Amino acid sequence: MSSTTPAVIMDNGTGLTKLGFAGNDSPSWVFPTAIATRASASSSKPSAPSKPSFLSSSTSNSSSKLSGGNLSSIKRDMEDLDFYIGDEALEAAKGPSYSLHYPIRHGQIENWDQMERFWENSIFKYLKCEPEDHYFLLTEPPLNPPENRENTAEIMFESFNCAGLYIAVQAVLALAASWTSSKVTDRSLTGTVIDSGDGVTHVIPVAEGYVIGSAIKNIPIAGRDITSFIQTLLRDRGEKDTSLKTAEQIKQEFCYVCPDIVKEFNKFDSHPDMFAKYMVETVSKSKIEVDVGYERFLAPEIFFNPEIASSDFLTPLPTIVDQVIQASPIDVRKNLYKNIVLSGGSTMFKDFGRRLQRDLKTLVNERVQQSERLSGTKSSGVAVQVISHKRQKNAVWFGGSLLAQTGEFKSYCYTKQDYEEYGPNIVRNFSLFSVP
Amino acid sequence: MLQLESTNLLVQETFANAFATDYTPVSLDRTITDFDFTTYHVSTPETKTKILISISINCWKDLAKYGVLDLLTSKYSKYPFIQILADQPEAGYHFSLYIDLEQASFENEEAKKELISELSLLKRNCFAAPFLKAFDRYAVLSKEQPADPNNIYGEDSHHNTNEEVLTINYRDLESIYITPSNDRVTVIFSTIFKDDTDQVFSKVFLQEFSDARKRSIQKAPQVINWHKEIPLEIRHLEKENTDNKTYITFVLFPRHLSTEEVRWNTITHIQLFRSYFHYHIKIVKCYLHQRMRFRVSSFTKILNRARRDVDEEEMRAERKTASGRRFEMRA
Amino acid sequence: MMISRNENERVLIEPSVNSVRVSIKIKQSDEIENILVDKFTRFLTKRAENFLILRRVPIEGYDISFLLTNYHDEVMMKNKLVDFIIEFMEDVDKEISEMKLFLNARARFVAEAYLSVFD
Repeated sequence: MSSTTPAVIMDNGTGLTKLGFAGNDSPSWVFPTAIATRASASSSKPSAPSKPSFLSSSTSNSSSKLSGGNLSSIKRDMEDLDFYIGDEALEAAKGPSYSLHYPIRHGQIENWDQMERFWENSIFKYLKCEPEDHYFLLTEPPLNPPENRENTAEIMFESFNCAGLYIAVQAVLALAASWTSSKVTDRSLTGTVIDSGDGVTHVIPVAEGYVIGSAIKNIPIAGRDITSFIQTLLRDRGEKDTSLKTAEQIKQEFCYVCPDIVKEFNKFDSHPDMFAKYMVETVSKSKIEVDVGYERFLAPEIFFNPEIASSDFLTPLPTIVDQVIQASPIDVRKNLYKNIVLSGGSTMFKDFGRRLQRDLKTLVNERVQQSERLSGTKSSGVAVQVISHKRQKNAVWFGGSLLAQTGEFKSYCYTKQDYEEYGPNIVRNFSLFSVP
Repeated sequence: MLQLESTNLLVQETFANAFATDYTPVSLDRTITDFDFTTYHVSTPETKTKILISISINCWKDLAKYGVLDLLTSKYSKYPFIQILADQPEAGYHFSLYIDLEQASFENEEAKKELISELSLLKRNCFAAPFLKAFDRYAVLSKEQPADPNNIYGEDSHHNTNEEVLTINYRDLESIYITPSNDRVTVIFSTIFKDDTDQVFSKVFLQEFSDARKRSIQKAPQVINWHKEIPLEIRHLEKENTDNKTYITFVLFPRHLSTEEVRWNTITHIQLFRSYFHYHIKIVKCYLHQRMRFRVSSFTKILNRARRDVDEEEMRAERKTASGRRFEMRA
Repeated sequence: MMISRNENERVLIEPSVNSVRVSIKIKQSDEIENILVDKFTRFLTKRAENFLILRRVPIEGYDISFLLTNYHDEVMMKNKLVDFIIEFMEDVDKEISEMKLFLNARARFVAEAYLSVFD
């Protein structure tokens, strides 16, 4: 039965949700983790005034608020069917009758009612699968409270009767995804994950598949900040189009990381062809040309020199990574330096990994030299390696896909039978997958 | 979302992109699923401009018996740029279509949309074969022996027992049985609820299914709710209900089979019945969860009201601790 | 001490030196109510840490048990606690019957929606 169907991978992030099937190389759907619900009645009170029914929607729409007595609300309470998710939610929220919600905040599920419905629509509409026939792999942020896992399991098993469930930590999946890179020789689950999405950047040390929670650091610089930095630069120059969308496009198409800003400035000045042009198509179909200048390398530079964009946060990314590894247990530090894995859209800039590796190496070498000088003994040296790979953008999802297509995956899952036998607390622990 | 969609959104999107004028060919290798153990595989095995779409269906053997290949051939052979690989489909799959994007041309946008929708309805088209066969048989029978016009609602359940019952074992233990006769086509679903809660809820739903027609929707097919009993029509096929199956019968009347368009509409909906049924039971549970969450929080509020006033202050202090403000002071 | 309206609805109150145990059997007249009560109490007990006075496992023959100890008496007002239990009993019955009504209404709606497309 469910042995032949591919497992479903759902990676619900703060900004974007990635849905797809195990074995595929990219998620089938990537859309915002957003849900648009009827605005009139608050979703926190399900027994509140009724919704117009499907059969008499045209007439009762406006009068429902007035006639929303208790009895009628029970009779025709269809509110819980009336919602949209993802891109459709954004579209629906433009109208007056829907309001938009983001059920996940800071990586964790905040509103379970909305999340439950988000999943419901993801499964039945977008993935078109009967959850009874599929195993599911869900992801969670590091340091997710175990209660959240239990709640997730409660929904997945009790509402959807899914065949089996595995909840994996996002950072661990990102490590697994890096196995596709040719630079990785031993497929270990030890490494430092730099996960940079739209809202926040995490630096997460993982040892033997377990997250070292005490050493995690967050950096308040991520994709959104880069975009708005580009936007500021465009505005300062007085470009004709400075919309967020344009800035976003420029970020994705033209930005790269340079080895040295001063040299890069000189290069731009001596080679005017480094300046790019970007064509914007406006609503009225006319084309506007926007010049792309120094922001090509300046924008991603805010990871390495945060002072150019922000005044609150001044520690460069390589220093943070170094601090994180130094805060981890001493016996894993070497391996953490050796395997630094990038994940998330904001690490996609060209040469991002190379620059990080170089800067970090400088930091580490200085320290090694200092300790050699102080102790007088020769150090064996610390290898620093940053791994970039093709699947970086959806690394978490891809790691899940890799893991879930292995034959052993199902033996790591808990099934509905397990859940019923032992109760929801079984999901507090999942055995780690071994290296396939 | 009230109705489940019969089209597969992913297949639809893939081809809507592929047939778009500004499509940059990419290499594809994707697995896509659909209800009832249906799996699609979309890939570009040779060049990026040739897309191979394959489908695998659990009950293909049954469907093949009822002429699914002829039906699919007639559906897709009118497009010269689609090669139908009926005899040697992709390994592991039952039926494949090889679409050459470079050769693809459409008379207008409408035609393009039609093909995209036909491709995304591949699963329905496969499941349509036995239904169409039964409908054709009904047409023959009704000519041979015209139905009594005074008996359109079919209160008399006299049946021609010699008629072949078309059986589709669409899931491992669940089946669809279709019996044509001179004045109706009877479709019987058997389905299993693994979960006890679902089992109980399904009874309520089934009751309403069989009552709905009496109340308001006279034009709908008649629904007979058998619970665990094996319907008369298939007693000779299934001797015992060993797996705790639930049976439900739909009686399709001539009005559901009149024109080509109506027939397809009927097929589209009836083949989704099981998914629809199970889907809504799950939705109900989601909704009940919502209510219970709401109740839990209201009970907690009431209980907290019982705390002594002194404690309320303390609670406020505690809350501050959580936000980190008064932490030092209390420690 | 046992208070009961009939076999299916009863409350058992067991006093002891430093605690009182209150157990409730919620009205269940048919299979559906049975399963709803089961679901609901399971849902509640899973979140027992929020309900200081809720026991995780009800005593046999009852659906849900509260244990009021001298500690609870110290931090909470007695009459309010009694209020809570009474309100709880009322609300649970109401909630169960509302859920049942909802289930029926939804089933009817879903059935009608399905059948009406055949037209």
